[in-house]
Amino acid sequence: MSLLPFFQWMQAHPISVYFLDNTWATPIVQLIHLVALAVFAGAILVVDMRLLGLGLTKTPLESVARDAQPWLVWGFVVLLITGLPQMSSTALKQYYSPFFWWKMEALLLGLIYTFTLRRKLVQTDEARLGPFWPKVAGLFSISVWTGVAIGARLIGLLS
Amino acid sequence: MEIRSLFEWMDALPSSIMLRESIYGYPILLTGHVVTMCLFAGLVLMMDLRLAGLGNLHTPVTQIQKRLFPWQMFGLTLSTVSGLLLFYSQPMRYFPNFYFWLKNLLLILAMANAMAFHLTTYRSVAAWDNDRVPPFPARLAGGLSLLLWAAIIMIGRMIAYSGLVPQWWLDLGLE
Repeated sequence: MSLLPFFQWMQAHPISVYFLDNTWATPIVQLIHLVALAVFAGAILVVDMRLLGLGLTKTPLESVARDAQPWLVWGFVVLLITGLPQMSSTALKQYYSPFFWWKMEALLLGLIYTFTLRRKLVQTDEARLGPFWPKVAGLFSISVWTGVAIGARLIGLLS
Repeated sequence: MEIRSLFEWMDALPSSIMLRESIYGYPILLTGHVVTMCLFAGLVLMMDLRLAGLGNLHTPVTQIQKRLFPWQMFGLTLSTVSGLLLFYSQPMRYFPNFYFWLKNLLLILAMANAMAFHLTTYRSVAAWDNDRVPPFPARLAGGLSLLLWAAIIMIGRMIAYSGLVPQWWLDLGLE
């Protein structure tokens, strides 16, 4: 089944029309999206760096992760809210952009990983984890989320 | 005008033209600028939240400062290099751009705020290192830094919207 009809529906939606008709609507959500990205990235990075044995190494892993959690969740909520109208108002461009699908696949992977496996891992006793797996987990997280950001930026530049 | 001739001179240099005309130069530099901004600004915001008493409260202030600082500088170096190359590739695109100048002004203010904090309030950090809510001057510096870096990110994005600027700026006729 093709998703094209869904993207055509999004493109024609009144919200899309509103965003295309208003000069400031798109820039404003883009600005908020980018600030939320920085907050989200900071919350991801302090924990990934801690997993790699860098940064806040004197604080227990679980505490670093618990402190970062609200900024991670709320950063993501804002990213989602400000991302949807951008996707909707350019739905057909997105549908035909390979970078959009790259971003969405990496995003899905990143979300599932971050809120299941990684979340479980950062709550586990560090002594039981050993030195190897936390590093793999941190490196994997940084790679996937960097992939999301690269794909996202390229939608606008190379599509 | 002197700045204008400097920009025009740079704009005509062979290496500037080469970068400007290469197909992948701009996309690679801009993508690199965003990714390295995430490293720099992400970690600066995490530090600011601690100073403002809003986040990362399980870690003492000095730990955040000392342990994140090298990575912030690493991110800053990479985003500065990519930013300067972006500028170098199109000086005459940025010369008449309102948001380009505004971003640079805000960058100076953010640096001044960080410098002022380190030379004054941070000297007494031993007395409040573990406080969940640091003293007012520290919260002020953290809050200002949060606002300034958020503004820098937003104004940087606005550089792409060179037409959405105050009329008096367009009336200067810099184009």
